[in-house]
Amino acid sequence: MENPRPEVAQEKEWIERSRNGEPEAFGQLAERYQRRIFSLVYHFIRRPTDVEDMVQEILVKAFVGIRTYNYQASFGTWLSRVAVNHCYDYLRRQRAARVTYYSDMSEERQRQLESRFEQPDPGGLTPEAQIAARDLVGKLLERAKPEDRIILSLKELDGLSADEIGEVLRIKPSNVKVRLHRARKRMLKDLKRLREGK
Amino acid sequence: MRCEEVWTILEEEPTAEFSPPVREHLKVCRTCAAYARDWRLVAAGLHELSREPVPEASWGFAARVVRRIEEATAILRPRPEFVEQVGRRFVYATLMLTLVLLLGLLLPSSGPLRSPAADDYYLVRPETVSARAEVALGEEFPDLQEAMPLTFTGGSERGDR
Repeated sequence: MENPRPEVAQEKEWIERSRNGEPEAFGQLAERYQRRIFSLVYHFIRRPTDVEDMVQEILVKAFVGIRTYNYQASFGTWLSRVAVNHCYDYLRRQRAARVTYYSDMSEERQRQLESRFEQPDPGGLTPEAQIAARDLVGKLLERAKPEDRIILSLKELDGLSADEIGEVLRIKPSNVKVRLHRARKRMLKDLKRLREGK
Repeated sequence: MRCEEVWTILEEEPTAEFSPPVREHLKVCRTCAAYARDWRLVAAGLHELSREPVPEASWGFAARVVRRIEEATAILRPRPEFVEQVGRRFVYATLMLTLVLLLGLLLPSSGPLRSPAADDYYLVRPETVSARAEVALGEEFPDLQEAMPLTFTGGSERGDR
């Protein structure tokens, strides 16, 4: 029988020890996955000052519920699931709007920016256009429904594949594609509303 | 080419060079042309967002997580002294209850620790009944009252004792 890789065996040991109530073992797992969870949480909530607290809350929650982990998915996927659920609740509570550069731009500048995207390749964007595009999308994400925001962040910001998103959200990859398309459509509809000043 | 097909292609690769059929469709379909322009703008913004540096965990983050877990689980987990105290009280309460039940079973059915014996109730009855007898006969028949034996009122035999 083939021996599992040492890091996999080590991880399993940490998981088992955590299940037996050893926080130090869970600390090792936290160290291994903290980067991934930080990235997910930051892309969901986009508040750098709140990220660390939020990740701590997620990890405490994960430790308390680690007995429900049944090795069907990888531990990273399971932890991401806990993070998604936690952030989903947070986003539902907080749907505040942000002041952005885009909304401060004159209509003419907005039109100039949009006209760049008439062509498939808009070429190198100026730093100002980059900031405007980024803030526009930041604002659109904040206005989006929490479920749209989460699926779009997983795909577009964390670069997960449809299969990986499906594992985290516990849905089929085909369903992921449908939801992504709907989320994008809603986002573009919201862009129109934003242009009209609604 | 259908609009839905064009949207799928646009969403997958917004900045790619489109095939001739897609380009033809975009020339004639204003809805899709607008969709393509808007999605490219949003995709560029998303790309910029994905390039933003993600905040890093501060030094000693994992150790703080462990401490927080210990604090959180300490609240959830009852302290051993608490368990011991509750257990001792439970044992005392069970012993008391057993003692009361045993006393209840062992003590005689009458006596100073019980309710009054059944006979005591009968002691009251003759007075009540005789009072009723007086009211019923009234003062108009004093002779009859004198002539009437006490046994007539019922339960008087016990009352006489």
